[in-house]
Amino acid sequence: MSDLRVKLCGVELKNPVIPASGAFGFGREFNDIYDISVLGAVATKGLTLEPRLGNPVPRIAESRGVILNAVGLQNPGVERFIGQDLTWLKGKTRVIANVAGREVGDYGEICARLDGLVDFIELNISCPNVKCGGMALGIRPENVENVTRVAKSALKTTPLIVKLSPNVENIAVNARAAEQGGADCVSLVNTFTGMAIDIETRRPVLANNTGGVSGAGIKPIAVRMVYEVSRAVKLPVIGMGGITCAEDAIEFLMAGATAVQVGTQNFTDALACPKIIAGMEQWCASHGVERVSDLVGAAKMNS
Amino acid sequence: MCELTATVLENKLIAEEIYSLTFACEEAVKVRAGQFVMVGVDGFPLRRPIAVCKAEGERITVCYRLKGEGTRRLASRYSRGEKISVLLPLGNGYYVSETEKRVALVGGGVGVFPLISAIREYADTKEIYAYMGFRNKAALCMQYEMQRGKELVIATDDGSAGYHGTSVQAFMENFERVKPDVVLSCGPTPMLRALKNAMTGRDIPTYVSLEERMGCGLGACLVCVCSLTNGQHARVCKDGPVFEIGEVAL
Repeated sequence: MSDLRVKLCGVELKNPVIPASGAFGFGREFNDIYDISVLGAVATKGLTLEPRLGNPVPRIAESRGVILNAVGLQNPGVERFIGQDLTWLKGKTRVIANVAGREVGDYGEICARLDGLVDFIELNISCPNVKCGGMALGIRPENVENVTRVAKSALKTTPLIVKLSPNVENIAVNARAAEQGGADCVSLVNTFTGMAIDIETRRPVLANNTGGVSGAGIKPIAVRMVYEVSRAVKLPVIGMGGITCAEDAIEFLMAGATAVQVGTQNFTDALACPKIIAGMEQWCASHGVERVSDLVGAAKMNS
Repeated sequence: MCELTATVLENKLIAEEIYSLTFACEEAVKVRAGQFVMVGVDGFPLRRPIAVCKAEGERITVCYRLKGEGTRRLASRYSRGEKISVLLPLGNGYYVSETEKRVALVGGGVGVFPLISAIREYADTKEIYAYMGFRNKAALCMQYEMQRGKELVIATDDGSAGYHGTSVQAFMENFERVKPDVVLSCGPTPMLRALKNAMTGRDIPTYVSLEERMGCGLGACLVCVCSLTNGQHARVCKDGPVFEIGEVAL
């Protein structure tokens, strides 16, 4: 039996596999398929101070090897999350509350509200599907540093993860900006902004016109970015982008990630996360790896 | 609700651009009329949500229209004996109460298939009056299954078979005689809109099954929402796909 436990900002996860924000709700629905306490953690839907209705439909489209989504942060608001969903989710596994806002001040307020109630806060400054807030704060390094600092100053106990956008000039520079602002961890990559056009109707498939691209097709870009970021900062890194199986997850670990998130594959296979956990254990066992954490950053570059 | 690998028993063309796929699960699955299945297509990240047409123990039949690359691949790639990934049974399904005896079904296009599951579920205990609309004679299929109720009217848009007109028109022409206690429907949005207008003020429970592009199929991702008349959003996959017609903005 290999040891799958990993430590993230001093918090132990039973394994490094986390369903990514947006794909998994607050865990309730997938718990009808399997016991979600097998997961390392759950990253929640993006939460805002007020409830949000999100974008019009269609909110999802498909292209070869990838999907595009533009949900637009539909969520019940932080208060209902605390009262209903968190009560249910707490104790089953580690909870990563993904939070978003319209402006910098919102991030401070929502972080203050969730401080001490969840295991981690993941700052969503990279959602490509909302007009204000979201990605606008996640592109310029000085904005990343500023919003991180505001969020961090509102947190007394809960570690802060900053989720980075790949739609930037240099993601390593933004990771350093998050570190400078006081982040405890960075997660990457959020989705790439894309568009799919229906050539019969000559209109974009998504009502929002553009959406976030995710799925197997983005994996090599995400692996490269995780590698670059893990070399640029001293913070632990959560890697994601197109993970479909245990081998993909191990690749991200070797690139420098301490834990991984899985999004799109939950749609292809509702049992994706437990299968990846079982597969990682098997891979470690068959390769003589005692602790999965030994794989973090294990890839040696060709000279 | 379960995620499983099923075995394809049959996947064949039954009408113009319409395929019928039957697969066997390892054990019997209890499916309510109006529920659906997420069907995986090799090489495509998203599964296709398809209404159950027939559920007989471990054998499930779904019918789908060739619409894009995914459904074309589903039609060409899966033949008898192939393994197929499915998530089922999903959604709420139709609801007919004990006291509702006279059940009218109004379907159009691929919307007739979930109504076939309603005929199968209720034919022995209720009086079924079915109004099924097709584009033309070439699109007509599964008539045998639809005949199990008390009345069946086939309608075609071009009059090439049965009643010349829509299923909603056929239904409304027979409405006073049939006097349904409840109406179950499924079809394209313009059809459902026409039905909603026709049923306004009649005080008869009317249910519609909606279609939307889906992500997880379980209610977690909030991709497939529909607008409710109260301004809120509901998840088509989890809160639906069946809604009271007055509840949804069509």
